[in-house]
Amino acid sequence: MAPGEKIKAKIKKNLPVRGPQAPTIKDLMRWYCLNTNTHGCRRIVVSRGRLRRLIWIGITLMAVALIIWQCALLVCSFYTVSVSIKVHFQKLDFPAVTICNMNPYKYSAVRDLLADLDKETREALKSLFGFSEVNSRKRREAEPWEGIQPRFLNVVPLLVFNEEERGKARDFITGRKRKVSGKIIHKASNVVHVHDSKEMVGFQLCSNDTSDCATYTFSSGINAIQEWYKLHYMNIMAQVPLEKKINMSYSAEELLVTCFFDGMSCNARNFTLFHHPMYGNCYTFNNRENESILSTSMGGSEYGLQVILYINEEEYNPFLVSSTGAKVLIHRQDEYPFIEDVGTEIETAMSTSIGMHLTESFKLSEPYSQCTEDGGDVPVRNIYNAAYSLQICLYSCFQTKMVEKCGCAQYSKPLPPAASYCNYQQHPNWMYCYYQLYQAFVQEELGCQSVCRETCSFKEWTLTTSLAQWPSEVSEKWLLPVLNWDQSQQINKKFNKTDLAKLLIFYKDLNQRSIMESPANSIEMLLSNFGGQLGLWMSCSVVCVIEIIEVFFIDSFSIIARRQWQKAKEWWAQKQAPLGPEAPPARQQGQDNPALDVDDDLPTFTSALRLPPAPGAQVPGTPPPRYNTLRWERAFSNQLSDTEVPEEP
Amino acid sequence: MHVKKYLLKGLHRLQKGPGYSYKELLVWYCSNTNTHGPKRIICEGPKKQALWLLLTLLFAGLVCWQWGVFVRTYLGWEVSVALSLGFKTMDFPAVTLCNASPFQYSKVKHLLRDLDELMEAVLDRIVAPEPGRANGSRTLNLTIWNHTPLVLIDERDPRHPVVLDLLGPHSSPAPGRTCSAQECKVAMRLCSLNGTACAFWNFTSATQAVTEWYVLQATNIFSQVPRQDLVAMGYSAPRMILACLFGTEPCSHRNFTAIFHPYYGNCYIFNWGMTEKALPSANPGSEFGLKLVLDIGQEDYVPFLASTAGARLLLHEQRTYPFIREEGIYAMTGTETSIGVLVDKLQRMGEPYSPCTVNGSDVAVQNLYSDYNTTYSIQACLHSCFQDHMIHNCSCGHYLYPLPQGESYCNNQDFPDWAHCYLDLRMSVALRETCISMCKESCNDTQYKMTISMADWPSEASEDWILHVLSQERDQSPNITVSRSGIVKLNIYFQEFNYRTIEESAANNIVWLLSNLGGQFGFWMGGSVLCLIEFGEIIIDFLWITIIRLVAFLRSLRQRRARAPRDSPPPTVAELVEAHTNFGFQPDPASQAEGYPHGQPLPIPGTPPPNYDSLRLQPLDTVESDSEGDAI
Repeated sequence: MAPGEKIKAKIKKNLPVRGPQAPTIKDLMRWYCLNTNTHGCRRIVVSRGRLRRLIWIGITLMAVALIIWQCALLVCSFYTVSVSIKVHFQKLDFPAVTICNMNPYKYSAVRDLLADLDKETREALKSLFGFSEVNSRKRREAEPWEGIQPRFLNVVPLLVFNEEERGKARDFITGRKRKVSGKIIHKASNVVHVHDSKEMVGFQLCSNDTSDCATYTFSSGINAIQEWYKLHYMNIMAQVPLEKKINMSYSAEELLVTCFFDGMSCNARNFTLFHHPMYGNCYTFNNRENESILSTSMGGSEYGLQVILYINEEEYNPFLVSSTGAKVLIHRQDEYPFIEDVGTEIETAMSTSIGMHLTESFKLSEPYSQCTEDGGDVPVRNIYNAAYSLQICLYSCFQTKMVEKCGCAQYSKPLPPAASYCNYQQHPNWMYCYYQLYQAFVQEELGCQSVCRETCSFKEWTLTTSLAQWPSEVSEKWLLPVLNWDQSQQINKKFNKTDLAKLLIFYKDLNQRSIMESPANSIEMLLSNFGGQLGLWMSCSVVCVIEIIEVFFIDSFSIIARRQWQKAKEWWAQKQAPLGPEAPPARQQGQDNPALDVDDDLPTFTSALRLPPAPGAQVPGTPPPRYNTLRWERAFSNQLSDTEVPEEP
Repeated sequence: MHVKKYLLKGLHRLQKGPGYSYKELLVWYCSNTNTHGPKRIICEGPKKQALWLLLTLLFAGLVCWQWGVFVRTYLGWEVSVALSLGFKTMDFPAVTLCNASPFQYSKVKHLLRDLDELMEAVLDRIVAPEPGRANGSRTLNLTIWNHTPLVLIDERDPRHPVVLDLLGPHSSPAPGRTCSAQECKVAMRLCSLNGTACAFWNFTSATQAVTEWYVLQATNIFSQVPRQDLVAMGYSAPRMILACLFGTEPCSHRNFTAIFHPYYGNCYIFNWGMTEKALPSANPGSEFGLKLVLDIGQEDYVPFLASTAGARLLLHEQRTYPFIREEGIYAMTGTETSIGVLVDKLQRMGEPYSPCTVNGSDVAVQNLYSDYNTTYSIQACLHSCFQDHMIHNCSCGHYLYPLPQGESYCNNQDFPDWAHCYLDLRMSVALRETCISMCKESCNDTQYKMTISMADWPSEASEDWILHVLSQERDQSPNITVSRSGIVKLNIYFQEFNYRTIEESAANNIVWLLSNLGGQFGFWMGGSVLCLIEFGEIIIDFLWITIIRLVAFLRSLRQRRARAPRDSPPPTVAELVEAHTNFGFQPDPASQAEGYPHGQPLPIPGTPPPNYDSLRLQPLDTVESDSEGDAI
């Protein structure tokens, strides 16, 4: 026999290719277990004894279960992130700085609009708390009360509640007691319970038909008066056109006495106007359109922004704002400054130095977290003229709901298209509606909090604020006159040091920290972890998986199908011709071992592979010539020369 | 001996030719390898064979690709960070204290007399108080003035701006009176090259103009005074530090290291750790921190130099130079400032993971702060870089930065152009950017996050006795010598969580790489390193067969060429092919010895080989290795 045949035979013996040809499922399994590459299966077949076999079956199944479990864990934890923190020392973009005076409008300019309201407020203070204005401020002399019909107190009356008499309240104008129906909502009472105060001040908001009323009470009269004042104030201001409001507020030249950035002088032209409904004119530095963003290439206070602000306390509205100073907000250029929410307050007669550290954060969006890149996929219309942020989304959501429910827009937020601000004349019960809606918003009943999503990247400036006395006692003497000269165009008044505030905003150093999320797993990692698990427990691979699919699904089904087919055929044959019992046995043999031909030779490679028989092998019985041997011996050099000699003649 | 034996074996092999063909080798490999795919190629039917071949190749390709990905990831030197947060006993930070005014005015008055008179005259001209007071009777020393005068640029006619020297002989006594800030700008005239090339430094506000001008002139004056005189003119430690308590242990001004800062004068550093060990703090809370009472003596401030009153304060690491002007904070007078400290530390790996320097030795800038024996920091590098450029461009050093060996500070007498040159450099963004690109950040970055709160101190009720005790202790006088506008109380302590450490570690180490490579190989093909070795073995065998074949082929070629003249007819192509295919056509003793059936007639040479195609596919198995062993 040729060596090639021998090898073939050997392979055949070791690897009987009988998987698909196996007569029964059991044989197939046995074949699979003996020949598969996964460990464990083989032990089931070769082990002797039932117990041992059972143990091996158990172990193998356990290994399979472990693999499945571990791989499931791997898949479940696929969408996790790893965080890296990087530090760069580089030139940094200076943020936009928005500066507002705490008082929105000059009192002298806005006084005519608010005269009635102020008068009523003062009267309310007088009768509620016994406050009578000592003529400390000459310009506001109290006019006699009689004969004037109160406008504002009629719409929203201020009431005094007595703890002992529930459901009763004293209307302070008429002095009459009146019944209070409906629910009483204690402002902030769900947070802190106030017990010691016997009398409480509040106001009542009713809807149009006055059957449904809500009463808000406050533990302190200060809060009650301010809230009440603010309601009316917003109502009045909502009717004033924007240009007029801008004119009533402070101009940039007035607010900014000096300005210095990065060692260079700057002036009011470097600031852009931004009108805030509650803070009046605010000015944003480094936010100028079609101009490049200023940057800082040196740390330290002298290379940042230094401004001296003029805060004229005399022009303050006594009821609207009770603190003096300015508010500063450091934000991104395209961000909307929510100055009322996150501003830093600046004191007068002080130098406030704000050192910044920049931290940038980047989150991964879907599917890693719920954040949004630009808000385009959030179903809330952005009514602000600024880039998306969570705050903008919440407020837009609220404003939209407000327009839907109350028919008008709230004054402190921008107007949605085709809506107008609320006022009494057009929307008599907007206040009630607003308070109801606001309550629902705070208690997350409007669904805004669930719809709005945070942004994926944000810049954060960590601030270190410190104060120092400014101007110092010895420099005050020369500094104030010079500052006065600088500002002589706008203000004809001698500066007091409490009218001024100095503000320094600078990068402490140019280290920028970036906190970045990156996917902890990649598909390669997942696969290699799978591979590790498969290899660890069973020494398995994708090839094994394919084998399993092949054997357990394709082959076993084909065996079952063949069986059924044969049975059906048999049954048919018996039914048709019950006389021929010889045929089935022959068939049986061929079916059992279809790879084996009728000849009793060992299966050749070709027959095993069921290749078409070579033409030379047509004559059965003749052994194939042993040309193979020649092939592997022809390289011997001594034979080479020998063999070539007889060939030549 | 062994080597010789092996060489001999090799030689024999070369003579004999390869024991087997490529195909046999491949088949042998496939049937015996431990990787999962190849075995299936040879033991399946032809269709499946092709499929398995494809699959195996596909998987091998996948494995190679994924390996490439992993190796690239590994060579990306990524880092992962570990964050730890908590409280532990740590070295209390070094605390640097300065006064906002560098000198006591009473001691420095004689130096600044001329300058102050000029300044007052300028202010008079600008602000123009009532005419009676603005008498120019004082004789002014105009040497300083003429070097860099302040001018008023009258822009009422924008096409012809008029430049007025504020103290010039032709100017009206009070130009500021006639012209307001909107129309007239105060500017500084800077001249170089003996006053021929002049530039104006414009300001939008007079306040800034006079302040900058004064600072520039004061720098010129102080740079000519020797260092020890400057130290004597500043606030001394006993004058400034009134009380000190660290935890429960009393300390005094002697526990502070004095350092002279050009901008803030005498500064005092507590717990610098230069000579003795740094003090640790093992408890959070203000009771265990540093408590200080300072007197900044506001009434003795230099009026034009420091318009802000307060103590300047910086927390920094031990053995680092305090860059208090850049990073310091103020503490206000008449208040108690409490500072809760959180140490925010970032430790990085260094090259090749992140671009940072461990000790600054690989930075191209000479560290001028090395005289202080402090460690490298990027601020030190930036300042050194600036001073380098200053010396290079203006040939003198700026007063605010340390001097390198053999250079001197700028002043008006020796370097008349320096102010012009300095301001050019100071505004130059290009210079800053070169410095930023030259300096590397240090790998360990420590920041002290502070929570600052303030309260009035002393309270109205306690003010009397506290001021009395403080004055008594410092000056031994029964009169009250300290005032509310001068005293500062400071509490510096660790917060409940006093450290936050972010530590970098290599995200991908060699173990990670290997396990992932193994995982991939195992996942697709069930392979291991041993499989790779098997594969390498096969490659070597392949090469070996090729070499042997080549040798045999060359030899046959040579022989044929030698025999060629004897050949009467040149062999036809068919003959050549035949000769090639039926090469060693001889009954060989080896095969007969192995028990092949005898009596088989040898095929007659020249007959076409039988079409036993199937035989081509046949692998050679172990038989071969047997015969190979025999042959050698």
